[in-house]
Amino acid sequence: MPKITVDEIEYEVAEGRTILQALDDLGVLMNGVDVPHYCWHPKLSIDGSCRLCQVEVEGIPKLQIACNTPIADGMKVHTQSERVKNAREGVMELLLVNHPLDCPICDQAGECKLQDYAFEYGAQHSRSQEPRRAAKKRVDLGPTIVFDQERCILCRRCVRFCREVPGTGELAVFARGDHSVIETFPEMPLDNDYSMNVADICPVGALTTKDFRFKIRVWFLEDVPGVCTGCSNGCNVHLGVANNRVYRYTPRRNDAVNQTWLCDEGRLSYRRINADDRIDHAAVRNGDGNLDAAPYETALAAAAARIRSVIETKGGGAVGMLVSPHATNEDLGIARRFLAALGSTQAGFALLRGRKDELLIKEDKAANAAGARALDFGDAAPLLERVRGGAVEALIVMGQDVLAPAYPGALEALACADTLVLLDTHRSHLESLAHVVLPARVAAEKHGTLTNHAGLAQTVEPAVEPAFEARSEGEALWRLGQLLDLAGFSDPYEARTGA
Amino acid sequence: MQKVPFVTSYLTEHFADDAYATLAGYQGRGGYQAAKKALTEMTAQAVVELMKTAGLQGRGGAGFGTGMKWSFMPKGEENPKYLVCNADESEPGSFKDRLLMERAPHQMLEGILIGAKATGASKTFVYIRGEYAAAADVLERAIAECRDAGILGANCLGSGFAHDVVLTRGAGAYICGEETGLLESLEGKKGQPRKKPPFPAQFGAFGMPTTVNNVETFSHAPHIVKNGAAWFRGFGTEKSPGTTIFGVSGLVQRPGLYELPLGTRLDEIVFEHAGGPLPGRKVKGVIPGGMSMPILPVSQLDVPMANEFLRERKTMLGTGGVMVLDDTTCMVRVGVVITYFFRDESCGQCTQCREGTGWLHKIMQRIERGAGAREDLDILLDIASKMEGQTICAFADAAAWPVQGLLRHFREDFEAHIAHGKCPFPQSFEL
Repeated sequence: MPKITVDEIEYEVAEGRTILQALDDLGVLMNGVDVPHYCWHPKLSIDGSCRLCQVEVEGIPKLQIACNTPIADGMKVHTQSERVKNAREGVMELLLVNHPLDCPICDQAGECKLQDYAFEYGAQHSRSQEPRRAAKKRVDLGPTIVFDQERCILCRRCVRFCREVPGTGELAVFARGDHSVIETFPEMPLDNDYSMNVADICPVGALTTKDFRFKIRVWFLEDVPGVCTGCSNGCNVHLGVANNRVYRYTPRRNDAVNQTWLCDEGRLSYRRINADDRIDHAAVRNGDGNLDAAPYETALAAAAARIRSVIETKGGGAVGMLVSPHATNEDLGIARRFLAALGSTQAGFALLRGRKDELLIKEDKAANAAGARALDFGDAAPLLERVRGGAVEALIVMGQDVLAPAYPGALEALACADTLVLLDTHRSHLESLAHVVLPARVAAEKHGTLTNHAGLAQTVEPAVEPAFEARSEGEALWRLGQLLDLAGFSDPYEARTGA
Repeated sequence: MQKVPFVTSYLTEHFADDAYATLAGYQGRGGYQAAKKALTEMTAQAVVELMKTAGLQGRGGAGFGTGMKWSFMPKGEENPKYLVCNADESEPGSFKDRLLMERAPHQMLEGILIGAKATGASKTFVYIRGEYAAAADVLERAIAECRDAGILGANCLGSGFAHDVVLTRGAGAYICGEETGLLESLEGKKGQPRKKPPFPAQFGAFGMPTTVNNVETFSHAPHIVKNGAAWFRGFGTEKSPGTTIFGVSGLVQRPGLYELPLGTRLDEIVFEHAGGPLPGRKVKGVIPGGMSMPILPVSQLDVPMANEFLRERKTMLGTGGVMVLDDTTCMVRVGVVITYFFRDESCGQCTQCREGTGWLHKIMQRIERGAGAREDLDILLDIASKMEGQTICAFADAAAWPVQGLLRHFREDFEAHIAHGKCPFPQSFEL
């Protein structure tokens, strides 16, 4: 493998890479080796136009752009020489000649590469006294994105993204020179399954999402690593958290899972966390047939009492469980243990399926369907049949995928159960059948692992705490197991040992 | 008949003869003998070596060795290889290629065949400036004549070598004269130069190995094959052999095309061939090689027109477009015009070029209207230095150099504007 020396440090790099690619492969780019750049993006074609990544290569008289200069064995690169610094300062000054000084009202402020690099590599004042370029403001590019032409520095990442990633090519550079502008074609809005990524890759505040803009200043947000639960791809995200609330998902790079992208549907699925239709209190059905709000422990005890009576009359085998492919592997492991302690084989999971594509969007619309399968949970349909047939008298239901069109008549089947304990996160028709409702936690509120479609188990950590009493499905089952005196459930939940 | 005077030498020798533009007339004067020789008697390597020995340099502006350029093309036949004839002639002050195509289309086509032999190219795309409608018609006719006569096609001149020429008209952008901007435009895309690597010889037109040569460069080739390298070296200087066609324009008595040996002194061109300034005027400065080349003041016109001498005066031969400015001319206005042009024509890809051309123009305008300050002159030079040599193509250099030239030799014009708060040249051309 070729060796290159960058700022006196030798690195072994892969064949056929450019300087910037090699630094990125090594994980040192902007993380030890500062080569600022705008147009280059690790997952897009090389453009070579912003000229900010110029470096000095020994033996080549002119400065070279690191993004497009192929590495050669023995190459010696200098990223911090006076010439390089002057060139960077020049590029920064020129980029700012026409860029509005509206940082105080720009939503990108705080995560703006122009702001960051101007501070780091620019001169502290501008020598330009000429009027700045006037262009369109608040251009509605499509359903998700608003564009400010004046702030655009024409790095063209968004143009290449639309052409190369979703392949839709809605954006193009029109006109030329300093009157160049990025626009959509007439009657062709920016509208594809991945459109909001352009806001992530836009280094400045030119492209912003309608969803997030002006919601909160980014410096109030804490980026908590997590996993998108919109489908079984398991895209890595940052949850932008402030005030115990998730304001957005942004993609977190994972070359093996989602590269640097996120689909729009998954990105907006953060809304499920703060949704108005969260089940925010436990409830128990009273003698009149109505659900009464109840403290969590009371509802749990009511569930235990109903299940105990089924166990006592029909045995543990009459207790069934419809598990959720949204639950973590740890939750599902406890479910398995719970069923084993009852001696029940009545289990299955329902799964909502939907549209898929070749990029990120997967057919299984649950984050842990692969985990459920790995724990030997089978399809929900046979279980529903047994509930309908009366073989299952008490059913613990997690999640609401059973309401999907793939399970016609599910509500009627579930209505046949004498006891239905619902552990769920969001309101649904299932509540009308439930005898006990216990609020559950979404992935952003719990610890655990989720196994994606490719079998990769990824960890989630709580980013927010629910504003009401809610427990993970695993914890609810554990406490239920304790109330039922099931074997193996004697330890406190926090001190539980692996199943 | 030609509307501009010219000095006859080998390229332009038969320009007065209308028949020279036809196949019969061209062949009557020995046309296509050189191509036949190259195709039937010479190896590709021998043609390349001949051009290297002759020392032919590209006439499109950069002056790169033609033999060397042809040698970059990959050997072998896995993929089609292409030649491109750059007939975009977009450099202001240049108009030689137009006449070469209108008056001697077969001379260029013969040169293309020789280049095709040297590079193994199966096809040549002639990318012609869109405004050159007359030249395009002449070329279309000439190409059709060649196809009919078996000079182009599957068996060129009976040699077994296959080659065809396709004419494409540009849509009017200076940057499409830059070779990779041209390739993009040829492919139907927006004319924006490509980053290098890859170079055209590896990845050119439609992704195939490609060499781009200028109209005049091709036009020299038949004469070199016919007469030999030593004959060619009998013209011009040791480092810059051959003739070139100087296009003299501006405030002179006899503007026009003059084919003269490289190394002819600039003052000879301006004062003898072109007849010097208009009555009662004095020459103030001369742009020696098209608008992007730095201007020389009248005191420095005693320079041989060849790059080895012009470089010592911080300018270059460029396309040989000699633009003469006289003592009525306001050099700040010249600066406004030049910077306007480059601002308008920058493709807008590279930061320095996109933003720098606009900034230069805005400052020039401000100085011209009398609102400039002394610091502006330093800022102009600093912007120019930050544009130079840092971009995908040489456009930013072309935009920076004339500003540097004007400030190097005519700083007093700028200072006078700043001192008086207005233009001190009442007779100058209007903006």
